[in-house]
Amino acid sequence: MAENENVENKKVPLPGSDSQEEVRAYYSPLRYGWGAFCAFFGFSTKTHRASKKRAKLVMDIATYIVLLFGAFLMVYPFWWMIAGSFTATFPQNNTPIFTLVWWPSESTWTATMLENGETVPMGGFFNYIYFFTDAFASGATMAGFAEGFTYWRALLNNLIYSIVPVVVGVITSASAAFAFAKIQWIGRDVVFMFLLAAIMVPGPSIMITQFVMYSDMDWQYNGLVLIIPGMFGSIMTAFFIRQFLFGMPTSIIEAAKIDGAGYFRIFTQFILPLAMPAIMAQGLLSFMGCWNNYMGSFIMIPQNSPAINLPHAMYLLNNAVFQANQGPNIAGAVLCVLPVMILFACFQKLIIGSLMLTGSKE
Amino acid sequence: MQENIQASVDEAALDAEPAVSAESEIVAEAAVPEKPKRRINQAKLQDNLWGWIFCLPLIIGTVWFVYYAFILAFLLSFTKFTNVDGSLMDAVAHYGEFINTGEWGAAHWYYQLFHEANGTTTSLGAQGIVMNEMGRYLFNTVFYMIGIPIGMILSVFFAVCMSRDIRGGNLFRVLYYLPCVASAIAIVYTFKIMFRTDGVMNTLLGLKDYTYPDITGAGGNKGFVWIPEGTNIGYSWCDIAGIQPTEDTSAFMRDPFWCQGLLSKTVIVIMSVWKGLGGTIILYVAGLSGVNAATKEAAEIDGANGWQIFWKVTMPDLYPTIFYNIVTSVIGGLQIYAEPELLMSTSSASAGFPNVSGFVALIYKYGLVGDVKSYGAGAAYGFFLAVIIFVLTLFQFWLDSRNKD
Repeated sequence: MAENENVENKKVPLPGSDSQEEVRAYYSPLRYGWGAFCAFFGFSTKTHRASKKRAKLVMDIATYIVLLFGAFLMVYPFWWMIAGSFTATFPQNNTPIFTLVWWPSESTWTATMLENGETVPMGGFFNYIYFFTDAFASGATMAGFAEGFTYWRALLNNLIYSIVPVVVGVITSASAAFAFAKIQWIGRDVVFMFLLAAIMVPGPSIMITQFVMYSDMDWQYNGLVLIIPGMFGSIMTAFFIRQFLFGMPTSIIEAAKIDGAGYFRIFTQFILPLAMPAIMAQGLLSFMGCWNNYMGSFIMIPQNSPAINLPHAMYLLNNAVFQANQGPNIAGAVLCVLPVMILFACFQKLIIGSLMLTGSKE
Repeated sequence: MQENIQASVDEAALDAEPAVSAESEIVAEAAVPEKPKRRINQAKLQDNLWGWIFCLPLIIGTVWFVYYAFILAFLLSFTKFTNVDGSLMDAVAHYGEFINTGEWGAAHWYYQLFHEANGTTTSLGAQGIVMNEMGRYLFNTVFYMIGIPIGMILSVFFAVCMSRDIRGGNLFRVLYYLPCVASAIAIVYTFKIMFRTDGVMNTLLGLKDYTYPDITGAGGNKGFVWIPEGTNIGYSWCDIAGIQPTEDTSAFMRDPFWCQGLLSKTVIVIMSVWKGLGGTIILYVAGLSGVNAATKEAAEIDGANGWQIFWKVTMPDLYPTIFYNIVTSVIGGLQIYAEPELLMSTSSASAGFPNVSGFVALIYKYGLVGDVKSYGAGAAYGFFLAVIIFVLTLFQFWLDSRNKD
């Protein structure tokens, strides 16, 4: 009885400031045990005070678990694509690829097929080879391709569409950015606002008139539509390079001018090399955009033209040839994704750094 | 020192191209007082000349491919101009002949946008909510926007995780950004198979053996359908509930748009959230690195817990990034086209799927498909889209300005 009163009168003992024995005596064993349990995982309670180090460790582990789970979700479809590209869907049927989760029940490495009455192994890269050869060969009759259109032609088109306009366009954008950032000229701010306002015009709303313009100029069948407009540069690219140039000291240009360099020389010999990180990053991002440009080719270039790009060819093949044989389709998807992935892997530091600096999304 | 200045003055005086800066200008003025005015004008002239020359390609490109095209789109939207009527110049030269006559006069295409009903709607009878084709496409476009808040919450969450002081943060950033660089067509074909009736998704969710009610007596179909195949427009609520539709059944119950349409759209929302997450995460990581560390520390010393610090210190600093992100996502989201079309397209149907297509598909379907391409209609629908986007953007900026007060 006396002991009870004693406990009630006593102030609540705190872990850390009072001895742990007092705390233990004050709380019930269950409550005390729960506190110990929480403290082990880094949470302070009334009975125990967790160490900061432990709290950080636990939170770090939790963060890793969350991030790893997210990373798994991000990467899994790519793994699925790779596994799918090694699935034997021919001449069996599509079932192995439709039921695929981790690795196909019948992969091209183990499957066999009938060729000229003989059973032969399929070969691991069957789907890829089929995509290169048979699929494109049957495309002329089934998907409406141009006569003699091959995978290599599509790949070449893709390379042209994503190198020529990007390289030229990034230089024209950089020159405009230089003029906006470092030269004082009449009408500069008006022109800048005028160009920036063009971003407000959504692409699809001028799709029709652009289509008519290009067809009037005969730019569609020969694929110039995906080359020439891009060479005039892009406003967003110019905008981001301009932001980068603002951070550059003007004294370099002043010094060059004193030494007698004209603006053209200043641009080619000072601005281009010095702004190279920004130019490279913007160029790489536009390269990826152009490489994946399905819509441009699909809308603007007729399907019987030899100038269609790889995504457009894949779309036509999928609709006409691959419905019953999805393995090569996914192999094609892997081939479509692989170059940009490799490029991204090589330049990820530059690209991510530029994205973080400029705050652009694409 | 004196010699240096003299040398530079001489050089500047001798130089045939007087590209000299203001600094050397002053020196030149002091040394050669006879003709200072002309030289200053020369430098100014150089500035103006080269400023315009450097900008010229971009200005030409923008005026030609954006402004010119936009003005012509506006003009064309009031005409019945088609691809058999000749070139764009013909349309402008004989503009009067092409002007549309119909309901609402020249604005006939805009009338049609609001009135023309899609075939599937009328055949179902007019009970309950009936939408015309434009309504459906617009509804789809707006439906895809639920991906924006979902993506935003997820990416802020992951960005906060990544900006903790842990090893390998950069690796995670790269991994999360991978879907952003992948081609849309490859992603769509992958998801198309993953969301099949016997695909990965149904296997994981245990929906592989789900059996639809047997209405027709031919036996219910097996496997939960996310994306209907071919010309099949999918299941309605009647099919799912096993009710035989009658005359009195509402359009909501009979129309697959309200059942299968929503499911198929969900797949696209999942796909676009997955694909867009990396880009926004990087934006937020950049935004978080700009959050003032001193303020955070001060809050910590004052006894604020992590949750309070996040809402009271981090979020206000992150607000500009979030606003920018929402504006660009809404503008981009309204222009969605490729993903739904690719997901649904088969050999038998290739343009315009009322269940899933975004508004842009309407422009394509009426403006650019067929032997006679009705450019006027496409231009009108495109202009309508531009107006929607403009109004929505203004609205967002208005909300933003109101928040700041």
